[in-house]
Amino acid sequence: MLRVRRILESDHVAGWAFAFPAVFLIFLFGLVPVAWSALLSFQQTNLISPPKWIGLANYRALAHDPLFAQSVEHSLVYTALFVPLSVVGGLLTAVALNRNIRGIRFYRLAVFVPVVLSTIATAIMFLWLLDPNFGLVNFLLSKVGLGPYGFFDSINGALYTIVGMTVWGWIGFDVIVYLAALQGIPRTLIEAAEIDGARSWSMFRNITVPLLGPATLFLVVWSSINALQLFDEVYFLTKGGPGTATYVVVYYLYSLAFSQGIAGYAAAIAYVLLVAILALTLIQLWIGRRLVYYAS
Amino acid sequence: MKRFGLAVAVIFALLAAACSSGGSGTGSTGANGQVNLVLWMGYTPPPPASQGVEYESLKGLIAKFTQLHPNIHIRMEYVDNDYALQKVTVALQGGEQPDISYQYGTNMPQVAQASELVNLTNIVKQPQYGWTDFGPGERDVATVNGKVLGIPALVDNLAVVYNKTLFAEHHLATPGPGWTWSQLAADAKAITDPSQKIFGLTFPADGSETTVWEYEAMLWEAGGHILTSDNTKAAFNAPAGVEALTWLRQMQQAHALYLDFHPDAGNSETLFNSGKLGMIITGPWDLSSFPNVHYGVQIMPSWAPGGSHQTISGPDNWVIFNNGPARVKASLEFLQFLTSPANLLQNSMATGDLPTKLSVVSMPGFADFNVKFPGAGVFAANLKNVEQARPQIAQYPRISAALGREVVEALLGQTSPQTALNSAAQQANSYLVVP
Repeated sequence: MLRVRRILESDHVAGWAFAFPAVFLIFLFGLVPVAWSALLSFQQTNLISPPKWIGLANYRALAHDPLFAQSVEHSLVYTALFVPLSVVGGLLTAVALNRNIRGIRFYRLAVFVPVVLSTIATAIMFLWLLDPNFGLVNFLLSKVGLGPYGFFDSINGALYTIVGMTVWGWIGFDVIVYLAALQGIPRTLIEAAEIDGARSWSMFRNITVPLLGPATLFLVVWSSINALQLFDEVYFLTKGGPGTATYVVVYYLYSLAFSQGIAGYAAAIAYVLLVAILALTLIQLWIGRRLVYYAS
Repeated sequence: MKRFGLAVAVIFALLAAACSSGGSGTGSTGANGQVNLVLWMGYTPPPPASQGVEYESLKGLIAKFTQLHPNIHIRMEYVDNDYALQKVTVALQGGEQPDISYQYGTNMPQVAQASELVNLTNIVKQPQYGWTDFGPGERDVATVNGKVLGIPALVDNLAVVYNKTLFAEHHLATPGPGWTWSQLAADAKAITDPSQKIFGLTFPADGSETTVWEYEAMLWEAGGHILTSDNTKAAFNAPAGVEALTWLRQMQQAHALYLDFHPDAGNSETLFNSGKLGMIITGPWDLSSFPNVHYGVQIMPSWAPGGSHQTISGPDNWVIFNNGPARVKASLEFLQFLTSPANLLQNSMATGDLPTKLSVVSMPGFADFNVKFPGAGVFAANLKNVEQARPQIAQYPRISAALGREVVEALLGQTSPQTALNSAAQQANSYLVVP
């Protein structure tokens, strides 16, 4: 009896008991769908009628699907632009905000506000601002003899407009992470460098940037995962268009599964994406382990 | 022990919160013959009052029905029509399907594959359903592979709504019922004024079904077809389809066409209501969005004088899911009640919705319809120009998406109309070989 009681009162049981609800929910809403969609990817199914087992046919079909190829290309272009722009932009903004000037709290807040705004609200705002015929941006550009630009409505510009909008929307997150990391840089190192006569650029390059390595690695990994899963903005703003200009992988699989009733094929795309993200993350972590300096 | 007790309490509280279903979606059959039905519909209660009329009308008819059938209770649950298919798909997975659900006509081939869907083929043959009184386009859309699976819930069609003031300012004759697309083009170009940002005509360019069905109406008028008659191959890339798309491209090149990339956001409606658009091709649901302009409505133009003025209709359906014989029987009784000519008339006069049954148009009470809802009478009369329906096959949504993408590419001048349609046809054919 005493033994049971001792086990029940041990820290392990209490710890797991506290963790259990979260673990259970992650299992239910995370792992079960992952396993289920693996099953779906080997089936021909619309989620309504009984599924048909077709083996690897969905995966084979991917190789001959031009729209999938375009979606992959757009996702890669988006990621290749979004990640460096938001991480480097976030770093520069954080350094600019890491000082004691009047109203610094206001500036920091202003940079962070877009992160907490709902995507739909910012999307509608950008639609109004960037409307080719009636938007404020084109109106102002026309005053200096530029434009009009199509922005979301132009085949060549829509994807880059989404890059710009999402960098604006997410840069605040990078800034907060970098600000926290900047506060953690020991003053002593900076002071020692100053005494040795280092210039500010040299200090930034040789002290600040290396010590921000762990934060940078985290942001690159996290931004890449998010960028490859771009969906909301495309869904709200362009529906993959004009034409196919902003078809990205997740939007394509969403439209297949939920508007066109081709869930098995969509699940196969989801799995390819999962594997791609996993591989990219592992590569990033592997490179990171070689480049990133951990202070402790 | 205290710590452990707390942890257990937290777990149960969270699990209870996570697992409670909220009770939505479940109707029931009581021992005393009481039947509780769940009805999914996309109408919202006021405010704003202007958008609540359909909700109020349906609610009133349900109350009237409950008075006649005290043992049947119907609970209305709001489901956005755009997501009704997804919601039903998920509900079917869990066996939580509603008794009656409002579904777009384009959803029917997919809904048709649910084994829980009630086949109405023999039921609607009974005279009290007045099946042949529904328009042919409506009956086609309620039917998949020869099986009747839905009862028409709403019917509409496309016609041209024009700004009378702009027409008068440019000394243009108001469109007559025999007008042609080249007349429309001339009118639109005359009205277009880049300095004032006024466009002659608007066209949806998001590549969605909104783009595609407007194009399809033009295709049909030109004598074309979406697919071959056996639904095995694309047919829209024939000369008729090219003619329609070329016309749109030329309008775009003349800057007379406002391409609306976000038709769901109501841009075109706002612009038309602000006097910035000469014409908009739309349905009766939009008329209440135009309080600020003096508008007229005319049926679709034909390509050649004396040619076809046919239009496209997007009928929506009520479908019934099997939740036991008592609930199916009650659901049928309700839909029969809801679609009786007298109740359809009451609904039309309250909401401005077109009646789904043709006989309603000639009922005495309908005479005031166009007075109460200016312009809606043209749409009601236009129902006779609905001669065909979009193919009711499971591949249609994917074909439509391909066609929509290519139409937009051609509109923006990325490819020629013929090349764009050929590319869409090639994609469509590849989808059609997969059952």
